[in-house]
Amino acid sequence: MISLYAGRKRRNGLMIVLAYAATAFGLGWLVLILGQLLWEGLSGLSLQVFTEMTPPPGGSGGLLNPIVGSLIMTTLAVLIGTPIGILAGTYMAEYGRYEKLTSVVRFINDILLSAPSIVIGLFVYEILVVSMGNFSGFAGAVALAVIVVPVVVRTTEDMLLLVPNTLREASAALGLPRAHIVLTIAYRAARAGILTGILLAIARISGETAPLLFTALNNQFWSTNLGAPMASLPAVIFQFALSPYADWQRLAWTGALIISFTVLALSIIARILSAPRKSS
Amino acid sequence: MSSAGRRPVTDLALSGAHFGSKVIEERGAVLRRLRRTDSLFRVATRTAAYTVLLILSGVILALMIGAWPALSTLGIDFFITQDWNPVTEKFGALAPVYGTILTSLIAMAIAVPVGILIALFLTELCPMWLRRPIGIAIELLAGIPSIIYGIWGLFVFAPFLQQTLQPFLIALFGPIPLLSSLFAGPPYGIGMLTAGLVLAIMVLPFITSVSRDVFDAVPPVLKEAAYGMGCTTWEVFSKVVLPYARVGVIGGVMLGLGRALGETMAVTFVIGNAHKISASILAPGTTISATIANEFTEAVGDIYTSSLIALGLLLFVITFVVLAIARYMLLRIERRIG
Amino acid sequence: MNVASMTAPAVSHAASDRAGLHEKVMIRNLDFYYGDHRALKDISLSLYCNKVTAFIGPSGCGKSTLLRVLNRMYDLYPNQRAVGEVRVDGRNILDSKTDLNLLRAQIGMVFQKPTPFPMSIYENIAFGIRLYEKLSRSELDGRVESALRRAALWEEVGNKLSANGMSLSGGQQQRLCIARTIAVQPEVILFDEPCSALDPISTAKIEELIDELKDDYTIVIVTHNMQQAARVSDFTAFMYLGELAEFDSTTTIFTSPKDKRTQDYITGRFG
Repeated sequence: MISLYAGRKRRNGLMIVLAYAATAFGLGWLVLILGQLLWEGLSGLSLQVFTEMTPPPGGSGGLLNPIVGSLIMTTLAVLIGTPIGILAGTYMAEYGRYEKLTSVVRFINDILLSAPSIVIGLFVYEILVVSMGNFSGFAGAVALAVIVVPVVVRTTEDMLLLVPNTLREASAALGLPRAHIVLTIAYRAARAGILTGILLAIARISGETAPLLFTALNNQFWSTNLGAPMASLPAVIFQFALSPYADWQRLAWTGALIISFTVLALSIIARILSAPRKSS
Repeated sequence: MSSAGRRPVTDLALSGAHFGSKVIEERGAVLRRLRRTDSLFRVATRTAAYTVLLILSGVILALMIGAWPALSTLGIDFFITQDWNPVTEKFGALAPVYGTILTSLIAMAIAVPVGILIALFLTELCPMWLRRPIGIAIELLAGIPSIIYGIWGLFVFAPFLQQTLQPFLIALFGPIPLLSSLFAGPPYGIGMLTAGLVLAIMVLPFITSVSRDVFDAVPPVLKEAAYGMGCTTWEVFSKVVLPYARVGVIGGVMLGLGRALGETMAVTFVIGNAHKISASILAPGTTISATIANEFTEAVGDIYTSSLIALGLLLFVITFVVLAIARYMLLRIERRIG
Repeated sequence: MNVASMTAPAVSHAASDRAGLHEKVMIRNLDFYYGDHRALKDISLSLYCNKVTAFIGPSGCGKSTLLRVLNRMYDLYPNQRAVGEVRVDGRNILDSKTDLNLLRAQIGMVFQKPTPFPMSIYENIAFGIRLYEKLSRSELDGRVESALRRAALWEEVGNKLSANGMSLSGGQQQRLCIARTIAVQPEVILFDEPCSALDPISTAKIEELIDELKDDYTIVIVTHNMQQAARVSDFTAFMYLGELAEFDSTTTIFTSPKDKRTQDYITGRFG
């Protein structure tokens, strides 16, 4: 029995060491990647990045047009996608909670949530770019909106399902019809969670490149015309990083830093918003 | 007690009685308006729900229409040849599909054991005060946009591998007959293995957090019962916790696989973009998404563009199946816990 | 509550009670803390070999806490600690050098909620045996059967050993857990309210089982059911707000208790 026990203790010790090693391994990559990002990105960071447009190779410039382009398309995507997402989530949690339609929509939604974003880009290409005859910022915004919708649907439904039914019953007892209950009581209770969902959706699309590649394409020059190709940070990073020019590559790192910072800030805000609810 | 002013408003509304007093009139009007808003709202939400279905059908339909020219012209050849010739307009999906599957398999082979071990650490071994910070760090890793992994892979990781791991592997397996062709040089830096490794780092935080959530849900009594018999920590984990959480872990793994298969930016930068199936995993190759990302805007000719869309359709079908299986498994465990 | 009862616990050391008794576990001046909160205060008592000792008392009195000190189950949780002496066969198990895995092989535990492992009935039992012994298949079969017979479960599951442990009824699951515990051949078995989740018939079966098991094991049972304690145990410890109010033979506790608190509890004045 003793030798058996010794073997068991050895195996236990080994696996524990491996678990520690795995954690160090995982965290190590985080440190390495973020470290490199900060190092390379900060070295190219200056006011110029935010005030000047993308330069031709060898020239000096900034990332103004891609930043503006990304802002425009992201805002539009959120404006289009969020209402659809909230309304659909509301239907699933409020009106259609036990219907077959809801379980089908939930299943489909989860598929869309994890679907390859490049496929979404192809889809929007087919329906908008081909029909309009050219690439456009609008198409890019729609592609991003298609990515926003499933995220918002999921969080809205989850948050509304968390609202206790007693709240709804109390308002119904006052004579309020369904819509009113949802609009005033349920939304207010789930407000923080839904907002978190929107922030997470924004964080998600801020980093998306693939759906923009053949919808909004890219644009070296200043343009806020949604009917024409529009620059975006991820697309510019894609182009610059793969180029052989050192100053373009440096701008790519800086752009990557800006995106990461934005995503991080949004995630932290989302976390802060959802925290008080969890602790109570 | 029968005067109209005493009856409840809803009663009046339901009976549609003609109101005598002005107050009741106004209340009736309010109710009518509320009911209109109600039906409008209900219609709006229902429409939005249908929109989700519409989007999915739209995606499938658009892809099928776009892929049709290529599929009808090339037929079954599309699925079984490696050729990729824009000039002769002969396209085959074999190389991209091979690359997609191989890189994802490499990624999962590394991310799953490491992720589960990290989850073990977080649930059983980690001191309480460290748990939250490390958990947050893992989520940070999950939130980094994939294009960052891409450029990091290209500028930092690939050159590093070219100097260290790749020559090591080539030298190690050189003398061994079969394995030497699997790890044959030259050390490009970029290639299938590199792409698989970058993908592994990307998928790792996801597997970790899903596993951790599932392990946390195991009833503490079960673990106590195992400890109570004198089991070591590893025995409690491997023989009680893992079997109990098995379905959830597999569901999480399949979700991670779904993401790995569809990942574009992390892979495109480091895969090498060669439409070729090589024996060596150190050689460059391509994946479906990398091919589309690199070639779509340059594609001339209907068949070329259509072939790329056909590739997209193929990718969508593959990820759809994987995600459906994952969803099914996770549904089973949610039912058991909740 | 009079002052006398707040000083020393009424622990009986009458010679007639101790004749022929061998002390298996000796608890001396035990304190237990959840963080800064002192949940057990200066507990001293003895658990005798091949006897059943019951811990009774109102909710929150610390009886489960005390039980869980005996196999150092609290060690799994960072904020909990025990101070004092708990000697099993003379050795203090609170010592940091104690090997916890071996301790728990020696002192087994059955929980309030039946906890079959996610494996077949056969595997549930073989699992524990395999931890400590290398046996041939036929030897293992024999051990599994004898454990199931001992736990009065063989008749019911002997022909479906490959069925999942979780497919059994509540009472059967609990007997499976008992079989699993005794398969490892411990010396002491701790029962933490083993019947509170079971129906009366299963409860009766398990009480019968405990009575048979004490021939081979030292048994400690925590129960909130006074009648159960009276039926099943030889010695009873009555606990109140973290203190040991009275420890004596069961007959004495239930017919002529010395402490007023004990008296009040068993007559239903509070609880």
